[in-house]
Amino acid sequence: MATELKANGKPFVHYHAAHCESGVTSALLRDKGMDISEPMVFGIGSGIFFGYLPFMKMTGLPISTFRAAPGSIFHKTAKRLGAEFVTKKFRNPQKGMDELKQVLKTGQIVGMTTNMYWLPYLSERFRWNFLGHNIIALRETDGVFRISDSMLEHPIDCPVADLERARFAPGPANPHGYMYYLKSVNPRPDLRNASIKGMKSTCFMMLNIPMPIFGVRGMRFLAKKVIKSPDKLGFDEACRQLVGLIRWVEEVGTGGGGFRYMYAAFLQEAAQLFGSGELADLSKEMNAIGDSWRAFSVTAARIVKQRNKEKETFAKAGGLMLICAGREENFFKDLGKVVGKLKT
Amino acid sequence: MDFEDEIFSDGLPKVYYKHDDQGRYVLETDAPWAEKVTCALIIAGNRANLEEIRKAVLAGQKSPLCYYMELRQMDPVMLAKAAGIATFRVKRHLRPEIFAKLKPSVLDRYSKALRIPLEELKTVPNR
Repeated sequence: MATELKANGKPFVHYHAAHCESGVTSALLRDKGMDISEPMVFGIGSGIFFGYLPFMKMTGLPISTFRAAPGSIFHKTAKRLGAEFVTKKFRNPQKGMDELKQVLKTGQIVGMTTNMYWLPYLSERFRWNFLGHNIIALRETDGVFRISDSMLEHPIDCPVADLERARFAPGPANPHGYMYYLKSVNPRPDLRNASIKGMKSTCFMMLNIPMPIFGVRGMRFLAKKVIKSPDKLGFDEACRQLVGLIRWVEEVGTGGGGFRYMYAAFLQEAAQLFGSGELADLSKEMNAIGDSWRAFSVTAARIVKQRNKEKETFAKAGGLMLICAGREENFFKDLGKVVGKLKT
Repeated sequence: MDFEDEIFSDGLPKVYYKHDDQGRYVLETDAPWAEKVTCALIIAGNRANLEEIRKAVLAGQKSPLCYYMELRQMDPVMLAKAAGIATFRVKRHLRPEIFAKLKPSVLDRYSKALRIPLEELKTVPNR
């Protein structure tokens, strides 16, 4: 937690958050006077997801994402809480930077989507071409932007040239300088209705999307691929793919396992909000699912490190993933039933 | 100090939601073991790969463009989009004999896309 001044001289409180986008969204909402926690935003915005995209590659490795598409958490949360917001994309980088400066001058704080590689303040372990990192710009003085990156403990400085490059990083999934800010928020938001909407759409995304690469079916698809990978690709290449997968499970955002814990935190808050014992039980189950994702990543890391070769095999890792998929399927079916009974 | 701990002691801790004894969720800064291992593996892999390419460039098998592309963690498709040059041309330019004959205007595009000064783009660091 650190306090920082905005362009109009009013204070902004920076919180350390686990995930960039839900952290940014909750910071934007808090700045407008709505007291909302990060897990709540994550739940209302239906942040939890699974998708395996073998045709979209980042540095040669397929994407397996554990959260919804970048930008959607903010969009959905703001809509469901009845806030007015503005989103913009630009073709011309110069226009994008001018617009940002102008909006900042009015005392707004602005969320932006950037490429992590070009942010100069991050250290080597963060620096790779990931094009969905969200940050907030607070103010601009003499060609230096003050940035509140919710992944870090304190606000930080970033030069204009680097920020421009990060916002307009060419390549697949170019963010095109995507920026968003809130115009006003509903003074009395309907949290209960919003949570129900969020949970319902999460259940749909995890269970009912009619494509085999999304949701629970996507997990099974990927698990089968992991089991077959050493025979198909050879041990070295399979390990390379597995390292890429563990990166998605453990590191990106807050990692697949981490997202499960955050969702459990959301369910706990929702249980208090509705006074529902069933949601509290589901929160515990979600926590256990997070633990089983972590068990999967530990097994996978042991395979790559070649420790205890007889026991730690690709079949075991794939099996653990299938277990996760089965548990999540049951979980979201139960959640769907519980949500149906809740009253706004 | 292990390599894993070394790259994680950069003063930029991430936080994770954890369940504490009283059943509440609290934020902690301990990175999970698997994350440390993968991060270390990926960074070590990148560095080794880069070193290999640097030696290949010095031996005249690859062009310096290949080295800088790898340094920026790009692939030919991404670099092609960034520089506004067709992918097949970028792939040709990875060959040293073709790279040596490039016009300054083309080199200029690469230097802008990769954020490498024009003079540096023609050579690789000789450590």
